[in-house]
Amino acid sequence: MANEKTYYTLEADSHLKCAHCGIPLVKGNAVFEYLDNAFPVELPVCPQCGFVYVPEELAMGRVLSVEKVLEDK
Amino acid sequence: MSDHFKERSTRDYHQKQLFSKEELEQRESLCTYEDPPFCNAACPLKLDVKAMLLAVSEGDFGKARSLLEYITPFPEILSYGCDAPCRSRCRRRELEESVNIPAVERAVMYHSDVPKAKGLLKFRKKQKIGVFGTELFTLAFAADMASKKYPVTFYTEAHDETDLLKRCSDLPEEVLKRQLPKLKQSELKICFDSDPASALAEAGGFDILCGASSLKTEETDPVTLCDSAQRIFPAGEKQYGAVLQALFDARRAAVSAERIIQHLDPRNSRPPEGETESDLFTNLNYIPIEEAVAENGIYSREECIREASRCIQCECAECFRGCSYLRAFKRCPRILTREIYNNTGIIMGDHMMNKALNSCALCGQCTVTCPNGYDMAEICRMARENMVETQKMSLAVHEFALLDMLFSNQEGFLAGKQPGYEKCRYVYFPGCQADAIAPDTVYRTYEDLMKRQEGGVALMLGCCSVIARWAGRKELYEEQIAFLKDQMHELGDPVIISGCPTCSKTLQEHFPEVIGLWDVLAEKGLPEGHAVLQKEVIIHDACGARNDEKTQNAVRDIVRQLGGDIKETEYSGNRTSCCGYGGLVSYVNREAADDMAQECLKTDSEASYVTYCMACRDRLRRQGADAVHYSELVYGTGADDMPDLSAKRRNRLKLKQTLLKEIWKEEIMEEKVPFTCEISDEVKQKMEDRMILESDLLQTIAAYRKDRRAVLNEADHTLTAMHRIGNVSFWVRFLEQDDHYTILSAYSHRMQVRVR
Repeated sequence: MANEKTYYTLEADSHLKCAHCGIPLVKGNAVFEYLDNAFPVELPVCPQCGFVYVPEELAMGRVLSVEKVLEDK
Repeated sequence: MSDHFKERSTRDYHQKQLFSKEELEQRESLCTYEDPPFCNAACPLKLDVKAMLLAVSEGDFGKARSLLEYITPFPEILSYGCDAPCRSRCRRRELEESVNIPAVERAVMYHSDVPKAKGLLKFRKKQKIGVFGTELFTLAFAADMASKKYPVTFYTEAHDETDLLKRCSDLPEEVLKRQLPKLKQSELKICFDSDPASALAEAGGFDILCGASSLKTEETDPVTLCDSAQRIFPAGEKQYGAVLQALFDARRAAVSAERIIQHLDPRNSRPPEGETESDLFTNLNYIPIEEAVAENGIYSREECIREASRCIQCECAECFRGCSYLRAFKRCPRILTREIYNNTGIIMGDHMMNKALNSCALCGQCTVTCPNGYDMAEICRMARENMVETQKMSLAVHEFALLDMLFSNQEGFLAGKQPGYEKCRYVYFPGCQADAIAPDTVYRTYEDLMKRQEGGVALMLGCCSVIARWAGRKELYEEQIAFLKDQMHELGDPVIISGCPTCSKTLQEHFPEVIGLWDVLAEKGLPEGHAVLQKEVIIHDACGARNDEKTQNAVRDIVRQLGGDIKETEYSGNRTSCCGYGGLVSYVNREAADDMAQECLKTDSEASYVTYCMACRDRLRRQGADAVHYSELVYGTGADDMPDLSAKRRNRLKLKQTLLKEIWKEEIMEEKVPFTCEISDEVKQKMEDRMILESDLLQTIAAYRKDRRAVLNEADHTLTAMHRIGNVSFWVRFLEQDDHYTILSAYSHRMQVRVR
């Protein structure tokens, strides 16, 4: 996994906290999966419970456009 | 969630041919859009007459001239000597006099300059051509071959170029004079004052020999114009006048010569030659009469433009005229079919035509407007079915609509007999869109039917399953139909009174007797309390009632009884356009669906429209039209004005609960939500655009309340929670105050995300 290409990196905003665990989110390794395709990314993640935060701009931007491309495959 | 909603894998491929090659060709052959216009088909020299006339009408004489120069080395001679078979096949002839094409050609040659540019750079060829004898055929052949950069030697008895032209044509001297510079410019090597007969007899070192008819010693092949020694002579049989025949023969001779030079059989792989047939359909209904411009001498530029403008630019655009979908994708049905066919066959790679095949409303208008009955809708529907079956169609495209159908047939479903009846003769099936858009009208209609229709009327709220069919989900469709059959059976298999033309059409395929609400109302008359129209209205016919004149007429009867003065338009009745709901376009391609709704209003956007499909009413209204469903007028009720996706579901649930409570006297246990949400109009619009339902949002908040999994932004104290429902992850950003939530945004994605 160490050498795997990361498709997208988003720094964890220092204001972001996991509401469940009460600790700040950190930049962590995550993966997007869709229709049997996987894209390693770095997103704000809760180091304790593993909750991955997908901000609105990312969901309605890059994620949506990649979904559309894959849907026509 | 059942298997129908399991996401596919892009790595797993199945293949199934959409239809056989023969069937593809048979379907494609119905579209004549690309057939040549009749003038072009008539021209043995293959002049693009239509393009030439268009260029002239736009004042581009240079372009028109180049089209003429392209087909013959002597366009000046052609324009005077041609017997113009194009004119006799010009479609304007059916209205009045045909376009005077030769006169336009003459004026084009007169008013345009000799082109200065020599055209494309051509490589000089080595093969030598010998041409013998003085006639237009030999001269044209020689000039043609010279323009192709073959070294040509032309043996003639003539003394000079002027004499040569005179011997080749009996046209007036001033015409030939205008052709002279072209001849002088050509790279022909002309041997004047020679004896062609002896030159031919002694000819040596030539790769191709071509002679005048007087030098012909044996009959030549009627197609290749070659004799047994592969020498070329003009055809024996004449089809046209002298000039056209000579130039046509020269063209064919040049093809043979090049075949021979390439060591090919001159009979093989020849391009289509001579006059051809065309099945192009040209609608003459809207062509204004324009008198022909008389030719006194040569047309002036203006006269020439005026005459060329009389060309109606023949094309078959019958399907395009009424269908914004075909116009948007800029393809005639034949091309669209071929591309969709190829799209279904792609094993690995992008399916570029998915959007196109999912943007057809499947309304069947093209089958009516096309003179040959081209059925684009069936092709798109079959392609969807094929791609679902071979797992190439993403669930994302139609999932929302399919879930909506299941909502209608599960949570929103209701089947009940009229109180007091053990067996009902009828069942009223309003259709999912009526339940969603006009619940009060459905309620009043059912009350009226119970009162006035003898034999008892049961009620069934649900979806006819057409949504699954439109989505190409065959198995799901069959399951839903089986479900409806079971439910109908439990009601005692009554006669279905359908409230929607599309439901009618769909249910008729599976149930023995289906009538329309319009049939009942047309027979029983209007109930008390109906609205009075007293104005001119346009009936927007439902695509579900295409080719169903009985339904169309019944609705017209009702509208007349309501006092409506019906105005029929070009797209009334069977030619009606779809409002954009059909074929699930409004879910897949909103822009295309809106264009379709606009198309319905193009005759008169200010008019009052009466519809008999609730989806049409809704979609036309969203385009700002004054549209109303006839049943709203019949019962003097209103409808929810432009309900959003959540309101449509809410309306269906509310209707079911009201009916259960008031007609079947059932106690409804309403589920209490232990929290409140405040959603601004701006957020609601965002949710509508992103197809997020209020129920998705409530479930996300409920999930958050349970496990508190969310992201807290300490800067503004907002929380963002995520909850996955089925194949979609829903995110809601909100402010929390005890049990009250102020919703700030909602978004979703289908991708799954996890830590690695």
